[in-house]
Amino acid sequence: MTSGRSQPDLKPRPMDALVVLFVVLSAAIIAVLVYGKRESENLTATVKHRGETVAQVVLDTLQEEKTVTIDGKYHLTVTVTRDGVSVTESDCPGQDCVHTGRITKAGQSIVCLPEQVIVTMEGSSPSPDVILG
Amino acid sequence: MKLTTKKLALCAVLTALALGLSTLESLFPVSVLVPLPGIKLGLANIVTVFALYRLGDIPALAILIARCLLGAMFAGNASALLFSLMGGVLAMLTMIVLRRVRGLSVYGVSIAGAAAHNIGQICAAMVVLGGTAVLGYLPVLLGVSLITGTLTGFVASLLFRAMRGIYFTQ
Repeated sequence: MTSGRSQPDLKPRPMDALVVLFVVLSAAIIAVLVYGKRESENLTATVKHRGETVAQVVLDTLQEEKTVTIDGKYHLTVTVTRDGVSVTESDCPGQDCVHTGRITKAGQSIVCLPEQVIVTMEGSSPSPDVILG
Repeated sequence: MKLTTKKLALCAVLTALALGLSTLESLFPVSVLVPLPGIKLGLANIVTVFALYRLGDIPALAILIARCLLGAMFAGNASALLFSLMGGVLAMLTMIVLRRVRGLSVYGVSIAGAAAHNIGQICAAMVVLGGTAVLGYLPVLLGVSLITGTLTGFVASLLFRAMRGIYFTQ
């Protein structure tokens, strides 16, 4: 027969918990790395289409709602408000970008794979009150 | 490893089964119930796990690659091929290694496989989109993979139990 066992253990074993723990830890570490920076000032939304930046909007300076339209194989409407960014309309097959909803924090993103659109939110750390030394 | 006609036919049947399961799954997307983009039950992974234990590493890998190629061909979507191949091959390599670890049941192996599958898909997305923007979605997918991996493990364990004592390759 083949190398290794042909009949696996069919009941969960204590060792399986290690796999679960490893997956949970990796998820937590990535989450902290991506979202942990808490940059909440100067939120900037960037819309990229097929690798090229098509729009960059600083949210705080926004007076009124701004829409960015993307025309390629599919057509997307990105709506930027002071509170966040969302893809409000798309005719792509999956609609994942629309279902992602509104992003409001630095590090978050909306992705449309069929049209290769990425909307990212970036921020900078609050400026320090006092610099010592 | 000797490739007998019987083994070849079995690989073909399992490939067809995996394709059928992915098609079935796409008819009833879970993302309708759970509003998380891109999540899948991964029913075809049951076939992968089964083939891995019963037929061995190489046949299982061959079934997987055939499934990805044919699936992309039927869907007419070349960019989906990169995603399913990256996810599938990474999951397969992980399971090839882990099934040899004593003390790990089919549950641990399939959870690790599901997690690796999602990591592979995020890697593919980073390649296609050219950036790390999608990395933030990985924790969500990893969380989901605990559930889908357990489910795959459960179904596979039922399958192995039902087919205990039935061997194809001897």
